[in-house]
Amino acid sequence: MSEHNDIKQMLSLYIDGELTPQEQEAVKERIASDPVWQKYYQEMSKLSFALRNWPDEELSPDLEQTIRIKITKKREDEKMRTRNHIISVGVGASAAVAIVVLTVVMQGPLSRHTTQLARIDADKESPAAPAAVAQPTTQLAMLEEQSYRMKSPQVKKEMEALQKPAEIGDLALRANDRALGTLKADKVELAARRSAVDNSRIRKMGGAQTSSYDTAQGLPSAVGASDSGLFRMESRSAQYEPYYLETNYPVSPDDVYGGYSNKGGQMIYPPAQEPYNREQYDRIYENPYLTVMENPLSTFSIDVDTASYSNIRRFLNQNQLPPKDAVRIEEMINYFVYDYPQPKGQEPFSITTEVAPCPWNGQHQLALIGLQGKELTGRETPPSNLVFLIDVSGSMNNPQKLPLLKQAFRMMVNELRPHERIAIVTYAGRAGLVLDSTPGNRKAEILAAIDSLQSGGSTAGAQGITLAYQIAQQHFIANGNNRVILATDGDFNVGVSSDGELVRLIEEKKKQGVFLTVLGFGTGNYQDAKMEKLADKGNGNYYYIDTINEAQKVLVHELGSTLFTIAKDVKIQIEFNPQQVKAYRLIGYENRILAKEDFNDDTKDAGELGAGHTVTALYEIVPVTSREEHGNVDPLRYVQTVVKGGPDMMTVKLRYKRPDEETSRLITESVRSQENRLRQPSNNLQFASAVAEFGLILRDSQHKGNANYNSVLQRATSAQGHDAWGYRAEFIGLVQKAQQLDIQVYDRE
Amino acid sequence: MEKEDNELILEAQQGKHEALEMLFHRYKKSVFNFSYRIIGNRADAEDVTAEVFLVLFTKSYLYKPQAQFTTWLFTVTRNTCITKIRKNKRLVSLWFESSSDEKYQEWDVADPKALPPEELAQKEMARQVRKLIAKLPEPQKSALILREYNGFSYAQISEVLGCSLDNVKVMIFRAREQLRGDLTSFMTEENDERT
Repeated sequence: MSEHNDIKQMLSLYIDGELTPQEQEAVKERIASDPVWQKYYQEMSKLSFALRNWPDEELSPDLEQTIRIKITKKREDEKMRTRNHIISVGVGASAAVAIVVLTVVMQGPLSRHTTQLARIDADKESPAAPAAVAQPTTQLAMLEEQSYRMKSPQVKKEMEALQKPAEIGDLALRANDRALGTLKADKVELAARRSAVDNSRIRKMGGAQTSSYDTAQGLPSAVGASDSGLFRMESRSAQYEPYYLETNYPVSPDDVYGGYSNKGGQMIYPPAQEPYNREQYDRIYENPYLTVMENPLSTFSIDVDTASYSNIRRFLNQNQLPPKDAVRIEEMINYFVYDYPQPKGQEPFSITTEVAPCPWNGQHQLALIGLQGKELTGRETPPSNLVFLIDVSGSMNNPQKLPLLKQAFRMMVNELRPHERIAIVTYAGRAGLVLDSTPGNRKAEILAAIDSLQSGGSTAGAQGITLAYQIAQQHFIANGNNRVILATDGDFNVGVSSDGELVRLIEEKKKQGVFLTVLGFGTGNYQDAKMEKLADKGNGNYYYIDTINEAQKVLVHELGSTLFTIAKDVKIQIEFNPQQVKAYRLIGYENRILAKEDFNDDTKDAGELGAGHTVTALYEIVPVTSREEHGNVDPLRYVQTVVKGGPDMMTVKLRYKRPDEETSRLITESVRSQENRLRQPSNNLQFASAVAEFGLILRDSQHKGNANYNSVLQRATSAQGHDAWGYRAEFIGLVQKAQQLDIQVYDRE
Repeated sequence: MEKEDNELILEAQQGKHEALEMLFHRYKKSVFNFSYRIIGNRADAEDVTAEVFLVLFTKSYLYKPQAQFTTWLFTVTRNTCITKIRKNKRLVSLWFESSSDEKYQEWDVADPKALPPEELAQKEMARQVRKLIAKLPEPQKSALILREYNGFSYAQISEVLGCSLDNVKVMIFRAREQLRGDLTSFMTEENDERT
């Protein structure tokens, strides 16, 4: 029995990575050999997942406001302390009103008197409360303050009480009270302004009876102050209750209350110190319709990122519609794997094209261009030299971030092969090397290093990136997959270097063969635009990890495509035939558009294609027969364009470089519209168009035509196909959720 | 370059207000969520959060440089939570004996019919987890929460709880044992219902 418990406890330690490597091996064997322990281990592992069902919640803005107000006031107090000393000592004779917020415990008159003395706020010189009273109090307060500063035994006790754990909580409470008392004394003149502190004092005293020094002086307004303060704390109303202060004090109320004054019973809130949500998205300007006569060529770089989709999913799962600029339609489409044929022969990828009527605009057609990267079998995959660059700053301290990341990495480490290398660099206040480059067969060591990661400190991303690249370079594997994997919530301060410099560094390293993959985590301070830019510059991919399933998708199932670049600088150029096409619009890829000259320019950077990746682009096409007007340009007077025409609708040209080459190769393929018209659109096109349509709705695109949720759902459901990992089913769920949210928003408006 | 917590708190002790602001920004959420998980209701957790940061802002001199800032902050947070729970017990006994379920009820739950089924299931699961964690005794509860939700190491936890490392091992294990039994039965029930 006791042996049983010992093993169980070992398992618990094993999960947390708190065992020595030897013990770890022993436990591992035990699990592998005994089904009973296997089951137990599984249950234990599931537990952590189950606990994630209680995610971190955001602070209510009210609470944050409340705390911030207290903090701001504290700062104001400090600034004003000197000034007030002068006032109370020097201007003794001038008239003012005493403002007192007082708590009197039901005790003897003597103690009552002392309490009052300690809590008098009466600096504003009233005839009833002459400076003579105020002065000694101030001095008393200063004395007390000094004695505390000198770390009197009391303070020491207080320190102990606060730091000594658990059981002596009550002592800590008493110590707290004393400390708050000190606080009071230490700012005698300002207590009225600091009703927050007073209130917590009141609360500390439990249901103690409240009275006010002011009452005795016939200033009932102050009773209001104390009462409402008490009410606020006890009722736990999240908002500040107004409290009334009548004063002849010559300074404006804003001065005294830090811009937080009472006007007509309505509280004026100071502006928040920072926006509640610091997520950043770059504005997306949708691609317009271009006429073929003016712009026969459309050129863009491929994009295999999928982060936007998972980010949208996070919003929807939080019952929010995503901000429009968080919706990048190409990343939504490319989140899903489509059923394109495997490439034949030497080519690293195959090209699929298809044309069908556009679902959201009956007058238009939809053209699909799909690339399928070659799948690599285990033996073909080049070995990896990976450097994980992990953000462990304080902001990562959140179940959705560092713990999720650790879990994801653990899963990934299990897939590593012996000749592959892995290193871990963290960055917070200082960049640190947690695990030097270690071969993939020393898994226990790697796992232990992952487990030792803790969050704390702030972020200096640039320093970490420099170190990570340095290590990647030291262990460079020729013809291998050399890559830095940056995992962060993006809230990093690039410190010494500007964004621009960081980008230059990444670009330079890319040329030397070290690529960058970015995994985005978390909410609230998520810097979407910056992360995409970084990954883009580093020949890398960018993923947003919001759930353990997503982590699994990116790091385990799609490990190959995430990590093994099979073609780089992949550019697509389409030439439309003006005899068949009047105008066209590329859906998504807004920040991937290239100039037509860039296509043949090998120095121009473009997107990478990983092993097994699929990339899909959709064009909405206005046929030449349409009466629509696009692009209002007068006909040219000196140039006459002669249309050669032909049977094709368009020609797809594709340029790519092999990962180790600097010269690009060209593939050309022509697309005819007729050949596809009779057939029912393929599942690929149906599903991709459903995703695009959903994106148009979420973006509230001006080109959305008749796009609607029901049509999205209908096509997505019928084209769900073989959905091995359930991603398409999840998509359908998200569309339903968005539909409901949208209805709610509509109702409210 | 931004600074580490320990540097910041030292700066704060020298009167640099920005340092405190930074610390507040970094830890507001984790302090709140930790308190929420320990106490089990939002309102009290909010009170505790406010109190903890007031301590940080007004009495940063209590921090001793030998300690890690996070450990210190969570020690203070935990003590404030426990004080709060004690006081709550006293308060409750004066008024009425509330059933434990009522005490942990979330007042922001909307009409359950308005939610889509999978979300309802998730809410239900979250409620269940909350309930089970609430049942854990102290200090096991703190140990487990620090480990599972805050990613603390065993060494850090032992500092926060002021007990030995071996003790932490036992506490986390026991907490897991208790949760495992309860949760497993709940999850299988769920699955049975769904199929």
